[in-house]
Amino acid sequence: MSGMRSITLGHYLPGNSLLHRLDPRAKLVGLLILIAALFLIRTFSGFFYFGLFFLIAFISSRLPWRYFLRGLKPVLYIVIFTLILHFLFTKGGRVFWRFGVLTIEENGVYLGSFMTLRLILLVVTTLLVTLTTSPIAFADGIEFLLRPLRIFRVPGHEIAMMMTIALRFIPTLMEESDKIRKAQMARGADFESGNIFRRARNLVPLLVPLFVSAFRRADDLAVAMESRCYRGGENRTKMRQRQITGLDYLGVFTACGIALAIVLTGV
Amino acid sequence: MLIETRDLSFTYMPGTPFQVEALQSVNMTVARGEFIGIIGETGSGKSTLVQHFNGLLKPTGGEIRVEGKNIWAGEINLRTLRSRIAMLFQFPEHQLFEETVFNDVSFGPRNLGLSGSELTERVRFGLESMGLDFDTYRDRSPFQLSGGEKRRVAMAGILAMRPQVVVLDEPTAGMDPAGRRQFLEQVKRLHREEGLTVILVTHNMEEIALLAEKLFVFNRGKLVLQGSPAEVFKSAAVIRDTGLEIPALSELLQRLSEQGKKVRTDLFSVEEAAAEILQLVREDRS
Ligand SMILES: Nc1ncnc2c1ncn2[C@@H]1O[C@H](COP(=O)(O)OP(=O)(O)OP(=O)(O)O)[C@@H](O)[C@H]1O
Ligand SMILES: [Mg+2]
Repeated sequence: MSGMRSITLGHYLPGNSLLHRLDPRAKLVGLLILIAALFLIRTFSGFFYFGLFFLIAFISSRLPWRYFLRGLKPVLYIVIFTLILHFLFTKGGRVFWRFGVLTIEENGVYLGSFMTLRLILLVVTTLLVTLTTSPIAFADGIEFLLRPLRIFRVPGHEIAMMMTIALRFIPTLMEESDKIRKAQMARGADFESGNIFRRARNLVPLLVPLFVSAFRRADDLAVAMESRCYRGGENRTKMRQRQITGLDYLGVFTACGIALAIVLTGV
Repeated sequence: MLIETRDLSFTYMPGTPFQVEALQSVNMTVARGEFIGIIGETGSGKSTLVQHFNGLLKPTGGEIRVEGKNIWAGEINLRTLRSRIAMLFQFPEHQLFEETVFNDVSFGPRNLGLSGSELTERVRFGLESMGLDFDTYRDRSPFQLSGGEKRRVAMAGILAMRPQVVVLDEPTAGMDPAGRRQFLEQVKRLHREEGLTVILVTHNMEEIALLAEKLFVFNRGKLVLQGSPAEVFKSAAVIRDTGLEIPALSELLQRLSEQGKKVRTDLFSVEEAAAEILQLVREDRS
């Protein structure tokens, strides 16, 4: 299993498309508006139009579709689970299929498909944004979005910094856990068989070194930041100032337009 | 042949934009009782290669055979294989996890199903092979040892499984010269006295020249040279191409021999080379 690094949910892919160049703040605001719009959709044709829009955005992003689909894999189970739940337990309307106490009825199929479509569109739209936004830019965007919450003393900069650091260390820790797992397997550790308690206990040789190394890294990072006189958000300037351009306004307006169209036409 | 690769290839994350062809069509063999050196620049695929030897990675092309059996054809139990071909990773001190040195070293043998006095014997063997006194260290916490001690405890944990082959991935990286020498002395002694087959991955040419009987040189995932250290260092140009340097000693002896002087070029220790050159000077005088 060399695939630990290949978990790609939200794994940024550098590029130069329109979506890549959009300011992260504009992208996040746009994304929020689109998600809201998604929840306002009431008919299947609404999903169809939204899907069409997504497809255009996706093609213009020039992301390889195979890579994109791979990123969806982890969500697949949730989607299937939702579908099954609705199919089996939402009742009403004509009965399509019956097996003992289990029935699949019209409302279940309708609601199941509806919810699933919404979920899928939600995930693919979000994934499109995360795949075209570098983690640093993403954190900048979050910091911006959190700014109005400053009046409630929400430490926006600190939250964004924590996010950046967490994102930065996910691949490192993945790599590390892959390495430790292999090292213990080389000593005959068994992570694959046995019942759930046994398996949990077998994880100790993996988890202890992983925590030790995470703490060591955290310590190193803290020292490195302190020796560069880092001291949080107040009066901090950015090395690269982000400029909002006409393109960014266009992006946000497009998202607003879509949301408005959905509300007005009632699709 | 103990270990044999046939057209072994490995690609990380195939089918994604991040794919890396770490190994390309590698053919090599390792015989029982040999001391093998694997050298190559950073990223040349050394670690990837050695992880195939005990089935931690599955080839994406070609095959790997141990004692003639393809290890991925279901003829070999991988866990048994891993106890016979043991492997020490880069920075092995990061794998320690138990409360006491004894427990950590005994992890491998316990996984082999050993217990009681046999287990104690194995731990003793492991620790003492690495020059650590059993009674002094058994109850100490592995996390409170020095870096060098941790590394030896990790190695002891490998040896306690009584493997036939040990694969060592840059075991001395980051150690001081004295620590390095000691560590390698122990390995060499095990090789000599116990007939242990050793596969050592390293960047350090001076070190490997003194130890290994056979070298494999890798460059960008390809096996570019193999042979005894003396043979390999003759191809100085190829080695330089891979981003490595041949040992200064070999270079000196080779230059002398190129100038028509009668010197042996297969000496790798300072003492031997000095004696050889001294003799040359004396002959020149007389
Ligand atoms: N888990 C992984 N996922 C993706 N790519 C990897 C992974 N491990 C290694 N690689 C890549 O495969 C190539 C070979 O790596 P490998 O670790 O085998 O090199 P190496 O010769 O051991 O280097 P070093 O001397 O630095 O240890 C490198 O380009 C590396 O970036
Ligand atoms: Mg390596």
